[in-house]
Amino acid sequence: MANRIKLLNTLENITSIPTLPIVIERITLLLQNPKTSAEEVGKVITTDQALASKVLRLVNSAFYGFPGKISTITHAIVILGFSTIKSVVLTASFFDVFHKRESDATTFDLEQFWLHSIACGAAAQAIAKFLGSNDKEEYFIAGLLHDLGKLILCQYLPNEFNLALSNAQIKKCLFFESEKELFDVTHQDIGAFLVRRWNLPEHLQNTVLFHHDPNPSSKHFLMTAAVHCADIFVRALDIGNGGDTKIPEMSEYVWNSFGFESASLTGLLDAIRDEIAKATVFLHIT
Amino acid sequence: MILGREVCGASGNVLVSKGSPLSAALGRRLANWGISTLIVEGEEDSHLEENSVLISPEKLKDELMDKFTNVIHKPVMKKLFVAIYQYRVHKNI
Repeated sequence: MANRIKLLNTLENITSIPTLPIVIERITLLLQNPKTSAEEVGKVITTDQALASKVLRLVNSAFYGFPGKISTITHAIVILGFSTIKSVVLTASFFDVFHKRESDATTFDLEQFWLHSIACGAAAQAIAKFLGSNDKEEYFIAGLLHDLGKLILCQYLPNEFNLALSNAQIKKCLFFESEKELFDVTHQDIGAFLVRRWNLPEHLQNTVLFHHDPNPSSKHFLMTAAVHCADIFVRALDIGNGGDTKIPEMSEYVWNSFGFESASLTGLLDAIRDEIAKATVFLHIT
Repeated sequence: MILGREVCGASGNVLVSKGSPLSAALGRRLANWGISTLIVEGEEDSHLEENSVLISPEKLKDELMDKFTNVIHKPVMKKLFVAIYQYRVHKNI
């Protein structure tokens, strides 16, 4: 308990923890008004030229299905819709804030970490399609952000991060089990703290907080459970690495309610690998 | 050392055919596609070891079992293990 309070206090007092660009908040506000036009949203995005150029690169990739066909932000909004554009901007901003921020204080392989995160986003998106959901971009972001807490630990509390890493190796356990044992705080808690601080939607707080233990009574159970499965499938396929080498337990409730018992997993695993191959564009976004 | 089975993409298209000679460059290219394991034939070439993308079905089973070791006693995880192992052997990944 003492460790938990100490670590959370330390986290609260780190003033250098990054913020998301103001563009995200402005777009969120604009999209609450049904009369907002594509031009208005386009203007807000283009106030940040670096971000606008990343958004254009992403929407022109195979991942979004219109390779090389979209020339302006307004055109992108018209073709992809407000919701998708907001997801693209959030994704691009997340990479802007964290990608390539090296930490000399740890040997953690960040390239493998990013591959794991992107693959989880892509896998969550494939699971969304498997479940018949139309919210696939939100599932992608939820998967992408699920281990956000590890980035914060790695970059702002490297001593604690290294301790948890080596403890997980020695005990041959999962990273969150190691964190729980050492600090009584996990990367799920820390990631959810940052998602709240960023004022991101409640469903993202839930997926970050509960991705290792999706609760059937949760408001956002489907998305949380999809990220839970995405993490497990990606580990089992050996794509990237999030800091440990073990497979978390898949909830039996999720296994049954998603129909994994009766369905062949081959089609889903194919779809997951297909989405991951397209999502590798995010590795080269900066 | 050569490929013991063809390597297929997620949509079933053949990326590299069976019998293709292995090289470090091919290993890196496949790794970039998210393919981290391959089924191979012939003797091991020492210069390929550092790319660690080559694996036999038996070694794949051992490595997967190591990942699943803390949870394999759970019925769902046993089913998942079997599904993943068969998939990876079939797809040569």
